[in-house]
Amino acid sequence: MNELKLNKDFDKFKQGMELMMKPPEFSVATTPSQIIYTEDKMKLIHYIPAVAKTHPVPILIVYALVNRYYILDLQPDKSVIKKLLEEGFDVYVIDWGYPSGADRYLTLDDYVNGYLHNSVEKIKERCGLDKITLLGVCQGGTFSIMYSALHPENVQNLVTLVAPVNFDSNKGILNLWAKSLDVDKIVDYYGIVPGDFLNSAFLLLDPFRLMIDKYVGMFERIECNPDDQTCALRNEDYLKNFLRMEKWIFDSPDQAGETFRQFMKDCYQKNLLIKNELNLNGKIVNLKNINMPVLNVMAEFDHLVPNDASIPLSDAISSSDKDTMVFPTGHIGIFVGSKSQKEVCPKIAAWLKLRSDLNGKGDEKIGSGNEEKPELAKEKTLQHNRKNRKSKLTKNET
Amino acid sequence: MNAQINIKGKNMEKSNLESTQEFYDQWINMYKATMGKFIEMPAVGPAREKSEKMMKGFSTFVNLYASGMDTSVNMQNVFKEAMQKVQEKIGADMDGDISPEKYKEFYDIWIQTYSDTFKDFAKSGHFVSDLGKLNAHLMDFQKYNRDMLEDNYLKPMNMPTKTEIDEINKELYTLKKTVKELTSQIKELKENN
Repeated sequence: MNELKLNKDFDKFKQGMELMMKPPEFSVATTPSQIIYTEDKMKLIHYIPAVAKTHPVPILIVYALVNRYYILDLQPDKSVIKKLLEEGFDVYVIDWGYPSGADRYLTLDDYVNGYLHNSVEKIKERCGLDKITLLGVCQGGTFSIMYSALHPENVQNLVTLVAPVNFDSNKGILNLWAKSLDVDKIVDYYGIVPGDFLNSAFLLLDPFRLMIDKYVGMFERIECNPDDQTCALRNEDYLKNFLRMEKWIFDSPDQAGETFRQFMKDCYQKNLLIKNELNLNGKIVNLKNINMPVLNVMAEFDHLVPNDASIPLSDAISSSDKDTMVFPTGHIGIFVGSKSQKEVCPKIAAWLKLRSDLNGKGDEKIGSGNEEKPELAKEKTLQHNRKNRKSKLTKNET
Repeated sequence: MNAQINIKGKNMEKSNLESTQEFYDQWINMYKATMGKFIEMPAVGPAREKSEKMMKGFSTFVNLYASGMDTSVNMQNVFKEAMQKVQEKIGADMDGDISPEKYKEFYDIWIQTYSDTFKDFAKSGHFVSDLGKLNAHLMDFQKYNRDMLEDNYLKPMNMPTKTEIDEINKELYTLKKTVKELTSQIKELKENN
């Protein structure tokens, strides 16, 4: 009996090694898309709509600077982006790219009031709208909160997904660690803070699980029925998904030093955002300016952004239409876990659908795919902007 | 003092971590009282700038070494604690022949215990303080090495240094920002007309 078990274990290991030696080809971010705007390293990606008539207000997804946006489109069958497209939304994503030495002086202001603002303006112009929906994820959620407070006139709805706003939480290990770090020394030495430096901190959160058990678990999941083709396909699929996740975890862009410095010091160490004291190049971020519908989505077992860090958003803003959703999943599971497709995305979509009609808040939506329409939309926006400026001038003169 | 260290050193053979810590503390105190004072002396003479910088490097290294030792001792304590917990959990179960099932059971207990113990430690004030100090001293040490490399090798060879590249990057950043602002203003003016 024991020998039989030992043989089975050995077969699993052997099969796993054979699979690894002939690794299956895999890809990430496979949902069809096109780049519609670039600025420095940043790219604004537009996904090809999955329905003929999309909901009028488009969604701009803002991901964190740490790791890459394609966790939202990791596997074709577990893609948040694909699901939103299938739900009838027009979806855009910001790809922040990989900062290099030339980007070390980029500040939080450059990201929020520069790249993010320009992306919003680009989508508004393209769609002929005054406002769009922002869906901010993790640190990208924090950026979206900052943006919505500074430019509420551009945001129809704000959805934050596992996004920290209160950094004074003792429940998150990262919050505890961040307080002890001499951020100035790190930035002054590195300039561009290496992604691997941050990755090593993430691995330290649970080193035995993340550096040993995860790989043991991979071999344990291998099935061993040599003549069963279905089983072989399942093994291959499993390995593909495992490798996709490995790629994402260790695909960590370096961080622009000055942005890292301000985010760590002003947010993690001084907790200025929730106190309405965060200053972005002279502009104070006052969360009370957030008056649009807000959906705050959290993961119950989030070890990186504890619920304590996200919950205070609701009380800090002045929106009357605000909801909170908590799903029994983890920080990553909320995008790629089984509940992501069945519960998280459909519920966010349902919430957004009710708030994505125009109600006279913008011009008529121009659908995607028609060559003439973006131009028409652009003209409409320009006319609208001119009208606005003239009325502002008149007011000032008065 | 030497006699004291020898006595503490004897305990180290028994893997007594407190003794190890005491030994490092003694070593650091002795260094500060003797060699450290010598190193911190202000340099004089024509080569004072260079020699002072070089001497400071030694202190930077000692600081890194001391915080590395603190971290190492605390880590050893955690590993020891985890090992003890594993022993308590498996008890006599692992006596005799170890079957694959038992081995898997042992692995599960081992990974669970080590993971939990380390996660608890990661939240403790000890670890947070160690992490902060070690990281700060590591940055000081790395920065010192880079400065020395630039001053003693790259500059004399007329090679570009990171400091110079950073200056250019800053200039480039400022220029790009100005261009963006001006472009935006021009666009607005055009639209108004």
